[in-house]
Amino acid sequence: MKGAALWIAAALALSAVAFVLGPYQTDIYRKLLLWITLALGYNFLFGISGQVAFSHFTFYGIGAYAIVILIFQAGLPLPLAAAAGVGLCVVLALAVAIPATRLDGFYLALATLAFAQLFVVVLNEGGAVTGGTGGLASYRLPPLFGARLDGPRYTVVIVLLLLATLAVLWRLDRSHFGRACRAVRDNPEAAAAMGIDVRRTRIAAYAITSALAGIAGMVYAFVDNTVNPPIFGLENAFLLLFMVIVGGSGSHAGAIVGAALLYLLPFVLSPLIGHHHALVFGVVMVLVVLFQPRGLVGLADARARRRAAP
Amino acid sequence: MNAPLLRARALTKRFGGLTAVADLDLEVHAGEILGVIGPNGAGKSTTFNMIAGATAPTAGSIDFDGAPIAGRPPHEIAARGIMRTFQHNQPFAGLSLAENVMVGMHTRFSAPLWKLIAGSRAAQRAERDARARAEALLDFVGLAEQRADDVGTLSFGQGRLLEIARGLAGEPRLMLFDEPAAGLTPAECERVAAIIRDIAARGIAVLLIEHDMRFLMALAERVAVLNFGRKIAEGAPAAVRADPAVLAAYLGSPAGDAHA
Repeated sequence: MKGAALWIAAALALSAVAFVLGPYQTDIYRKLLLWITLALGYNFLFGISGQVAFSHFTFYGIGAYAIVILIFQAGLPLPLAAAAGVGLCVVLALAVAIPATRLDGFYLALATLAFAQLFVVVLNEGGAVTGGTGGLASYRLPPLFGARLDGPRYTVVIVLLLLATLAVLWRLDRSHFGRACRAVRDNPEAAAAMGIDVRRTRIAAYAITSALAGIAGMVYAFVDNTVNPPIFGLENAFLLLFMVIVGGSGSHAGAIVGAALLYLLPFVLSPLIGHHHALVFGVVMVLVVLFQPRGLVGLADARARRRAAP
Repeated sequence: MNAPLLRARALTKRFGGLTAVADLDLEVHAGEILGVIGPNGAGKSTTFNMIAGATAPTAGSIDFDGAPIAGRPPHEIAARGIMRTFQHNQPFAGLSLAENVMVGMHTRFSAPLWKLIAGSRAAQRAERDARARAEALLDFVGLAEQRADDVGTLSFGQGRLLEIARGLAGEPRLMLFDEPAAGLTPAECERVAAIIRDIAARGIAVLLIEHDMRFLMALAERVAVLNFGRKIAEGAPAAVRADPAVLAAYLGSPAGDAHA
């Protein structure tokens, strides 16, 4: 099993990093892993399934808030709270996708934009349940089956989350379902003529990726040990979109590259040019869309092909 | 003769005040090639779309293998064993040739999503088998050499062949061809005609709508002629060609001469 060995090697290597980092780098590393996880899911939704939705980061927030509220206010044990959180994400995803996919793709964009805004309003107005504008803070991850997961061990949890997310999406992508998603993206009419239920395929892709975002959100909740409304606003939803486009939409590698680049870029640029890094983002975005719609990965592919052809 | 595979009865489609197809009866048997011709606006495409599920009939019935299919969505009709090609090639641009053909096999996959996620062996085997079958189908239509190419690099004629391979991938019992000769060179027409004959010889029913008289007359065993949404003649190509009503409606027109 060469494939399995590769996955285990990746898990070991990414986990090993966790044990040599200081507190500041650990925080950056954990968030990098989480951004990559999110970008992988969003790439499946936007790049592979072709659905323009702005709710991916919102489901990340729903997962984060849900697990905190369910454990510390409803008093559920951690595994039960996690299962309920996933269930909540799937139900909400279906509630958004079922009516939205009845209409043209444009309405999914509108519906998810409205949903993302509504979520922030609910967080701000949620009183004691959501903690209002200040959010929820000063909670700690309860021990899981007697083990306390903190420090580098929690970073390992995030590594496993990333790899599990990638494995799920990888397998789906390389199946008849992934092919159906791409076919629906490229040509819904022809896809239907080939026996693909276009709506069901869209709804399934939306629900699965939204649930994955929710699971990532649950893990995130115990990274900062605080959840508050500004994190889950539209700014990060658009950053996620930029990550996928810059990296190369439709490609897992592209999502990883895009997420790493755009997440780490401010750390490099801020000391040099301060807050103007947003300007660099904008310029990079425009250049990619104009000159390399297949993203950085597309650029690498084109170069490899040129080298292969004499 | 045994029962027809496809039987349309009193098929009617009205768009507002316009009657595109009126009271049309059609039958196609397994292994038979039925051609439907008619001048522009005769209702050929509307008829085709009603059978393929792209539009619902206003009235009338369509039975496939004894089951009513009129008004069912296209994906359900495909799953029942009716596959189609498009007049304007409709490939999946982001997929390889083999993957395009594998999309045509969609209804033959049964593994539920959780099994795909769990990495089921059976699902992986089905995937490998599908790829092998896709390559065999590309071989059959003569696209084996282009297997690894981007869909965008295909010529129009090669795109048509890909459409045929993709349709056959669904193991259809009825194959619908929407003007398969449109836009092809004479050599490509020959090739497509040979493939269609081959398909019918396998016992698959073929229904094709066509503009190109010469192509259709040489290929179809039976021809139905539509004019203003009504069937004005039906029978063997030679008999239909001599039918005065057909000559008046279609062959006698300048457009008909250009194709005949």
